[in-house]
Amino acid sequence: MAHIPDGVLSLPVLVGGGAAAVGAVALGLRRISDRDIPRVAILASGFFALSLFAVPVGPSSVHLLLGGLMGIVLGSAIFPAVCVALLLQAVMFGFGGLTTLGVNIVNIALPGAVIGALVSPLIARATPASAAVIAGLASAGCVACTGLLVALALALSSADYMLSARVMLATYLPLMVVEGLVGGFCISFVKRVKPELLTPLQAHA
Amino acid sequence: MRSLGLILALLFVATPASAHRLKLFATLESGTISGYAFFVGSGRAHGAAISVKEASGKEIATLTTDDNGAYSYKTPAPQTYHLTANTGDGHIADAVIDAARFGGASTPDPENADDDDADSSAPAAALSQAQIERAVDAAVARQVKPLIEAYELAEGRTRFNDIMGGIGMIIGLAGLAMWASARRAGGKA
Repeated sequence: MAHIPDGVLSLPVLVGGGAAAVGAVALGLRRISDRDIPRVAILASGFFALSLFAVPVGPSSVHLLLGGLMGIVLGSAIFPAVCVALLLQAVMFGFGGLTTLGVNIVNIALPGAVIGALVSPLIARATPASAAVIAGLASAGCVACTGLLVALALALSSADYMLSARVMLATYLPLMVVEGLVGGFCISFVKRVKPELLTPLQAHA
Repeated sequence: MRSLGLILALLFVATPASAHRLKLFATLESGTISGYAFFVGSGRAHGAAISVKEASGKEIATLTTDDNGAYSYKTPAPQTYHLTANTGDGHIADAVIDAARFGGASTPDPENADDDDADSSAPAAALSQAQIERAVDAAVARQVKPLIEAYELAEGRTRFNDIMGGIGMIIGLAGLAMWASARRAGGKA
């Protein structure tokens, strides 16, 4: 789903996605202070490993995306984290492709960054229980946005790759539920044991 | 540290690893392309659309996979075919059947298609070159099929060592970044 392979997208989409990803990764890198590096690395490895495991759902097969979780904890540093993880997945497992790397980064990280920025002030003030609800909704929303971005990238490229709305619903709805549960559980857990992780990254001086 | 431990624990639970990637298996037997679309380690793709294109890029047929993800297409002539499977949710995979795979056996004549008949009715010496080639092609295709299947499966498998290697790479990058920022801070002081 979110790992679009090589040879599917048209050149303008690839170039547009690539340029957006380069800008976003550079922006994200500038916002990481040295104290935040382990946090970014841990979430990048978590995303790298977990999104490799897929389960069959209906006519297709899905895996976790963790966009919401990463967006809430990392803010704009989600871009370099996703970039590194997707690059390794493409090189080591042929998951997605190198030419589509930029588009895939944008598809997965952009919803996380935007929604994360919107909800993290709320989560910082919330109790663990309501933080779980907010994070769950945010995670589910990220999955839906990623699905829409994938559909957009494919539709812009070629009419051959129009997605079927029925299949999208059948596969993305269960994933939204699972992502919501995972995101909610993780954030409420972190909120209880280590709430300082949920404050946004400090910008570089 | 705690989340790293959690990630490691999850990894051990999920060791029979399955990469999430659509692949299209295609094999050629007596002029018929058949195979199936599958997710590596995670089941078949049923109801996926398969488009068959000539080398020129002209689409000549569209198929749909059945409940086992299988499809078959009887080719009109020996030439290169490009097959593309699309599950409808952003998973796309390609397979190519090269013209050379058709070998000496062009599409079989309907009346001669059954090699056993030819064997029993005519003496062995009377078998034409074309018939022998056809029989050998069919036998080789049958024997090689499980090998190709196993190869396709193995190629996409996610190995535990690779995952650990990837995580190690990320940790290494983090170390590099911390070293670089420590140097910068040291320079400033």
